[in-house]
Amino acid sequence: MLTPSAASGALARTWTRHALPNAVRSSAVALSAQQRRNVTEVAASSSFDSPFKGLGSSEKTTKIPSFSHYKSSGNEESNKLFQYFMAGTFGAVTAMGAKATVQDFLVNMSASADVLAQAKVEVDLASIPEGKNVIIKWRGKPVFIRHRTEDEIQEAEAVDWHKLRDPQPDSDRVKKPEWLIMLGVCTHLGCVPIGEAGDFGGWFCPCHGSHYDISGRVRKGPAPLNLEVPEYDFPEEEALVIG
Amino acid sequence: MGVYSGLYNTFFRQNTTMLATVFLGAFGLQLAFDSGSTLIWNNINKGRQWQDIKAKYVQNAEEEE
Repeated sequence: MLTPSAASGALARTWTRHALPNAVRSSAVALSAQQRRNVTEVAASSSFDSPFKGLGSSEKTTKIPSFSHYKSSGNEESNKLFQYFMAGTFGAVTAMGAKATVQDFLVNMSASADVLAQAKVEVDLASIPEGKNVIIKWRGKPVFIRHRTEDEIQEAEAVDWHKLRDPQPDSDRVKKPEWLIMLGVCTHLGCVPIGEAGDFGGWFCPCHGSHYDISGRVRKGPAPLNLEVPEYDFPEEEALVIG
Repeated sequence: MGVYSGLYNTFFRQNTTMLATVFLGAFGLQLAFDSGSTLIWNNINKGRQWQDIKAKYVQNAEEEE
């Protein structure tokens, strides 16, 4: 019998003799002889078991299998309850995981504790005498704290604020009238105004000549807005927390 | 039998009530899981945490002042 390599060798040898049809026929015969295999030989060597093994008669092939082995012994109601309970519990656990995942991402984006700690500044107001300015640094910006005198409070409240460029009453700008707290950044181009200067007894910006009154409102010059008032609180009588 | 069908009818029969039950269950489960794991953690690390030794150091700091 010819093996494929022997057939191709014969093919190569006969090629020079120009006997192509004959060689092709011989190799084809060899291949078909190889493909033809004995069925009994396969059955003997295979590990596959026939599903119809041992079922000689036609009676046995029509036998209906019994599923009673798989049938639950409990009643329907308790089975149903158990199944829905398991599905619901799985849903609850999944919801928990999804919530935790989303929360982790969102918490990651919020400010951390050290940032929050730096964002607040505590000031002891007892050390600031009446009629004095104090400048402190808060979030990289100066903050003016003015302990206003009685006269200054009356002056600030007496102004006809409706006619100002940025109309705002004094009561909107202070929580306690004797304490004026505002960001020391000129609303024009961001210079730091000079305290106790200017035509209105408040602040004066040396860069472009904006004048602010004793409530920090712009009265003259190019600045468009009043000096900004930050968030602040008085947790105790003589303590101030900015931020 | 009656208990089972009663539970089934209360919680699982309607889709909306089942959903509400599941979400409420998730909320409760999370509370239980968080507090339980914290409890276990505190039990394992008893005596080594700041909350256990705080009293000592806070008293000392006040004495120094």
